[in-house]
Amino acid sequence: MSQMDLFIQKLLAAAKAAGVDPAEVCYVESSSFSVEAMEGKIEQYEVSSARRLGLRGAVEGRMGYASTEAFDDGAIAMLVSGVKDSAALAEAEEQEEIYGMDDAYPELTPVESDIDGVSPEDKIAMCLRMEEAAKAFDARISKSQGAFVGTSRGLMRLVNSKGLDLTAETPQGGILSAGVFLVAKDGDSTTTGGHFEATRRVGDFDPVAVGQAAAEEAVSQLHARPVESGVYKAVLRWDVMQAMLATFSGVFSAENAQKKLSLLAGREGETIAAPCVTLIDDPLLPGGMATAAFDADGAACRTKAVILDGVLETLLHNRKTAKKQGVETTGNASRTGVGGPVRVAPTNLFLQPGTRSAADLIRDMDDGLLITDISGLHAGANPISGDFSLIARGFLVVNGEIGRPVEQITVAGNFYQLLKEIREVGSDLIFQGRSIGSPSVAVEAISVSGADSVQP
Amino acid sequence: MLDQNVAAEVLSCATRTGGDFAEIFLEDRRSQSLSMRASRIEAVSTSRMHGAGIRVFDGTRAIYVHTNDTSREGLMDCAAQAAAAIRGREPGKPVGFSRWTAAREEEIRLLPTDTPAARKAEKLRAADAAARSVSDEIVQVTCGFADSVQDVLICNTEGVFVTDRRVYSRFRVSAVASDGHENQSGTVSPGAGVGFELFDTVDPEDCGRMAATRARTMLHADNCPAGVYPVVIDGGFGGVIFHEACGHSLEATSVAYGLSEFSGKLGQQIAAECVTAVDDGTIPGEWGSTHIDDEGMPTTRLVLIRNGILENYMIDKLGGRRMNMAPTGSGRRESYQWAPTSRMRNTYIAAGHDDEAAMIATMGTGLYAKSMGGGSVNPATGEFNFAVEEGYWVENGVIVRPVRGASLIGKGGEILRKIDRVGGNMSMAQGMCGSSSGSIPVNVGQPMIRVSSITVGGK
Repeated sequence: MSQMDLFIQKLLAAAKAAGVDPAEVCYVESSSFSVEAMEGKIEQYEVSSARRLGLRGAVEGRMGYASTEAFDDGAIAMLVSGVKDSAALAEAEEQEEIYGMDDAYPELTPVESDIDGVSPEDKIAMCLRMEEAAKAFDARISKSQGAFVGTSRGLMRLVNSKGLDLTAETPQGGILSAGVFLVAKDGDSTTTGGHFEATRRVGDFDPVAVGQAAAEEAVSQLHARPVESGVYKAVLRWDVMQAMLATFSGVFSAENAQKKLSLLAGREGETIAAPCVTLIDDPLLPGGMATAAFDADGAACRTKAVILDGVLETLLHNRKTAKKQGVETTGNASRTGVGGPVRVAPTNLFLQPGTRSAADLIRDMDDGLLITDISGLHAGANPISGDFSLIARGFLVVNGEIGRPVEQITVAGNFYQLLKEIREVGSDLIFQGRSIGSPSVAVEAISVSGADSVQP
Repeated sequence: MLDQNVAAEVLSCATRTGGDFAEIFLEDRRSQSLSMRASRIEAVSTSRMHGAGIRVFDGTRAIYVHTNDTSREGLMDCAAQAAAAIRGREPGKPVGFSRWTAAREEEIRLLPTDTPAARKAEKLRAADAAARSVSDEIVQVTCGFADSVQDVLICNTEGVFVTDRRVYSRFRVSAVASDGHENQSGTVSPGAGVGFELFDTVDPEDCGRMAATRARTMLHADNCPAGVYPVVIDGGFGGVIFHEACGHSLEATSVAYGLSEFSGKLGQQIAAECVTAVDDGTIPGEWGSTHIDDEGMPTTRLVLIRNGILENYMIDKLGGRRMNMAPTGSGRRESYQWAPTSRMRNTYIAAGHDDEAAMIATMGTGLYAKSMGGGSVNPATGEFNFAVEEGYWVENGVIVRPVRGASLIGKGGEILRKIDRVGGNMSMAQGMCGSSSGSIPVNVGQPMIRVSSITVGGK
């Protein structure tokens, strides 16, 4: 029995003896190693290992929480008293519950991973090659803002006094992520651009291709200027739509709906999006970043459509929200940290790809904008109202051809409205090391304000 | 927290392969957070964070290794891993600690760890009730309170051996107003580098009413017109404009590599003459204040821009090596899990002399941004954007109606030159600033200012 097993066993016994029953431990550990280079020199090495353990438990049916990163003698007493103090104040109408093992758990598709075989020297070489390839690609690449290669692995274990004991790799097989960020200069124009990729098979990672893609992204925006304010047809590149989905994914949470923080409350069965929109939450996706057999309630995970052909099929539930609404959990219980309440989160969430390429979508648009970058999502997007107003970059599209680069514009709209205005979903579904993925999408209308508009 | 002999042994191990500087940052943090929704305490959680980070320099290369295992063996293991990244040079000299000091600590009267959670809960209840009393349109109120006591020990091969205690408390009320079709929210979130005495100066009921009133005002607001307009930005969180548009570009992280638009511009006019800006870690008890930075250096007050002229950058130890300049006590990090880098503290545009009412009366048609949301910036290009949480449309110098959905975008260098009025009453507000060394508490601040023209994004 490992030291941690012993600690968990002692902790659960101490909790029970103190009247905390049932009780559950959530333990995570992670390790990572990354290297960063800038301008051909290795600048940073970072090695980390972390262990964190949370205890949640009920005192007279009310749930309390505590967590620690120290595993010394005082830790057990601190966790148990923390849970008791916290439970004494809890007064939510529906209290969380702790469950034993579910009837059955899905088998995950195994992933092959060889990231542990990558030595620090390999990582350094990859960094340097990404930078070299970027600089060789175009003379206007003036500087590297840094190239990085990192690997990480993690583990999560749930153990409780009702017999639950589950362990998962987070993510499955670990992950190697690598990328480079660049500055391009030409005359008085300065732009930045980058590219990164994530993989578990080192052979699939091509540092030269990543460097070139980053360079292309940076130089393509040189001499960009705004467009006139107005309403434009637009294609949102996959990564732009991915960022939108990530920002607004909370609207699909039953927890938010029940708390009146999502406008989708009670709208299951209604059309909330264009008919071409199908949104899937797939915890069983082979190789996904959030792929898992069980959720933070210990419930079995399953694949479901959140939106099917434009119709809201289901919100995402944990056991608590499901019980309140009289439905089955969707297996979307999630914990933001080990020492907090069980909430709701998507697993691998993505728009189901269509059949035609992003290039087809752009060609069919005739005139409009291709949006390739948005920023300011943490401030310029309101996940409650769905409103967004974001600084954006991209290209003018004229007669179906990608034209001059565009910068210093804001695109504004509303996420709920955007779902209805999607004209077509492209075939280019990409996750790139994230749990939320998207293809490019064509939208009917997006409101743009640019710097050269005329003041009335 | 750590025996000096062990510390010396660990630092020697870290430099045994030729590293020319090594540092241990040891942290033990006790935090508590409470959240309330639907007028009920939803969760209380107590946590203890504990770990250490070891950093070694080899010239301008930095190696950072961190762990939760702060036993002698755990630290020696980290030091050995860090040393392994450097090869084939002379070992460093033995370490002797010459500066054995505890950082200055203000008296904390009501230490969070000594304050029962039940007392904290009372404050949430008061705010919740006050927010709900504002209007029937307030459909949801969420409140939170979070505090922490962070004990740190920082020692390095230059002989520094210091301990410090940082105490933080922050209160948050967020109200959602709805007419059944649309939701708008308003948030108020005061905080300070103090204990439970935060509530000597913060009235939870006021916070609740302010958040609810803001949400309700925005529910009845029209969409903001888009275009290029003069904009008046109010004091307090309005200072986020300087933080994003300029502050980040004055951090060594950007400047050292020539990645900032302000690289190499010390002594030059980079802002309008009416602009003086300061980054001050010395104000007692403020949210962004520090006693010592996270590299063990005493904090400072830095004039960044005086009458439009660039005077100082914010420099950490590694940035200082890269720039060949002295550090400014600006090295900060979220926790032991992050290597420190140059960061802001309490950063503000200093008070000027212009009259606030006249500023609006003479602006013509444009936007009065009463309350700002957050924002972000690309330091290489200076491009920034930020959201206006509460805005009003001004026509011919008169405020005519509330507007929503506005954002302000532009380039830092340009906006600094376009500030044409600076009011006389400076105030600050709290934020969490995210950057390459994690998320840290900072204050932003300014008096009311006017920008002669800026791109307003709206609908």
